[in-house]
Amino acid sequence: MSKYLTFPDVLFKDRRLLLAALTDIGFPIVEEGRELPLYGYQGDRRSEAADIVVRRQHIGRASNDLGFVRTPDGYVPIVSEFDRRTLLGGDFLVRLRTAYSEQVVQEVRRRVHGTAIRRLEGQTIKIAVRY
Amino acid sequence: MPEIDFSIDTTTGELRMHVQGIPGHACDDVAKLAKQLLGQPAHEQPTAEYHLQTHVRPQARTQTRR
Repeated sequence: MSKYLTFPDVLFKDRRLLLAALTDIGFPIVEEGRELPLYGYQGDRRSEAADIVVRRQHIGRASNDLGFVRTPDGYVPIVSEFDRRTLLGGDFLVRLRTAYSEQVVQEVRRRVHGTAIRRLEGQTIKIAVRY
Repeated sequence: MPEIDFSIDTTTGELRMHVQGIPGHACDDVAKLAKQLLGQPAHEQPTAEYHLQTHVRPQARTQTRR
């Protein structure tokens, strides 16, 4: 059994952009509600609850549910120790943060009615928005 | 032309933003929008350009009498 870990420093302010980022990294199906229960890979109900949940059926056979708890500052991820180590090669949270950051850039571009030029420099994505 | 330069570090997901070509407090609007979507930044530093004020120079008209 893998325990759940909460990452209070990883915060996603905007619900819509978080859902878009999850879709971008391959998790388009989520459940939303208040304090939805989380289940482990054997179908066992855990003590943790979340407001946005990716069910394990949409992740992988050995995975546990992933959750996001809504707080006054934004959504905080709850990820099992096992999934933190294995999901997307152990890069789940980094990939999600990167996808969320790209969504933020696109949202800013839309709001200022600008155009974007994107390029990759090593391990850095550079995006220039002109308006 | 105003430009916002974004850098996303794919090893951490961290986003950096640099607003250019918008002198004075007009760039606060862009910063405010980014904070709405990202939360409070770890670092925030106004550039020299930020402190420039926008000046509107009145045009002088000259009339010639015939």
